[in-house]
Amino acid sequence: MAHDSHDSHDSHEYVPEIAVDRNGKEHVVQGWQGDFYGAKLGFWLFMLTEVLMFGAMFMVLTYYFTLHHADFIKASSELNRTLGGINTVVLLISALTMGLGLLKMRSGDVKGAKLMIWATMLLALVFLGVKALEWTNDFKEGIFLGLPTMQAGGGKSFGELLFFGMYFTMTGLHGFHIIIGIGLMLWLLKRINSGKVSPEHHILHFNIALYWDLVHLIWVFVFPYFYMTGAGAIHG
Amino acid sequence: MANHTTVDYQAEKGAYYKVLVGLLLLTALTFIQPSMFLTNMTFGIQMLIGTLKAWIILMYYMHLKGEKLIGWTVIFAVLVVVFFFSVVIVDVNNFQFADVSYITSPAK
Repeated sequence: MAHDSHDSHDSHEYVPEIAVDRNGKEHVVQGWQGDFYGAKLGFWLFMLTEVLMFGAMFMVLTYYFTLHHADFIKASSELNRTLGGINTVVLLISALTMGLGLLKMRSGDVKGAKLMIWATMLLALVFLGVKALEWTNDFKEGIFLGLPTMQAGGGKSFGELLFFGMYFTMTGLHGFHIIIGIGLMLWLLKRINSGKVSPEHHILHFNIALYWDLVHLIWVFVFPYFYMTGAGAIHG
Repeated sequence: MANHTTVDYQAEKGAYYKVLVGLLLLTALTFIQPSMFLTNMTFGIQMLIGTLKAWIILMYYMHLKGEKLIGWTVIFAVLVVVFFFSVVIVDVNNFQFADVSYITSPAK
């Protein structure tokens, strides 16, 4: 038997969708906000597609690295390890603030959760600022896509050009994920303020925290691959 | 249906800080390794430390500890990636087309 909801058709009142099982019993169909596990599983599947994308890029990087081993180590040693390291710590602390924010939300402290989300956003902006500074320095040193020094015959070996091409592509894509993360956190704050995300319905907060951890997870491999493989070239 | 799970913030925040300390220590190890130990194996050691950090993040920050279905899904995905990486590494170590390929240094 279908649920008759015409009485409230003109209002904006939430009308649950009803499904009927083979025994004629009615069940309320859960939306994504109500189906915690389903929403979580769905988001994990989305994140695996992200792993697929970055995994393919790492595979290309590995291929080039094997073919141009010495060039990659030389190019890696030219990157600013200090700024990369600062960003690693910034992202690490932002993962903590995001996690504590979710914990505060789950424990009923909505105000504290919002503060932690703002702190995470601030750290994300710091990350982007440091990255911008690093790229500016790279540009001044003639290391940037499109510069004459980065063309064939511009003084760099073929392997170095491949390394820097992958470096700007992958750290750029990662930075784009940071920007998306800031947008998601702003959206999350909007929904918390309107009461759509609460301690009772926090799946959106949970999934955005997962997204932020994935962004952190990708950096966990991006950083050593690009910045640290050439560290031995300096230290011996 | 609500998905409220009662948690005690004060009791659980300790685990988050412990994970932070662990990750910071591993990050410090990342920095000192190239000049301190196993300096001829930098890439392998760096990837090993990265894998360890990733495992900690997955288990504790991403709440995979105790998650059977999602946990096995992730393990399967990682195994697929490892398989393709293995194939790539074997393939590239036997690269035979340096003279005609576009991903090697141009022939002199």
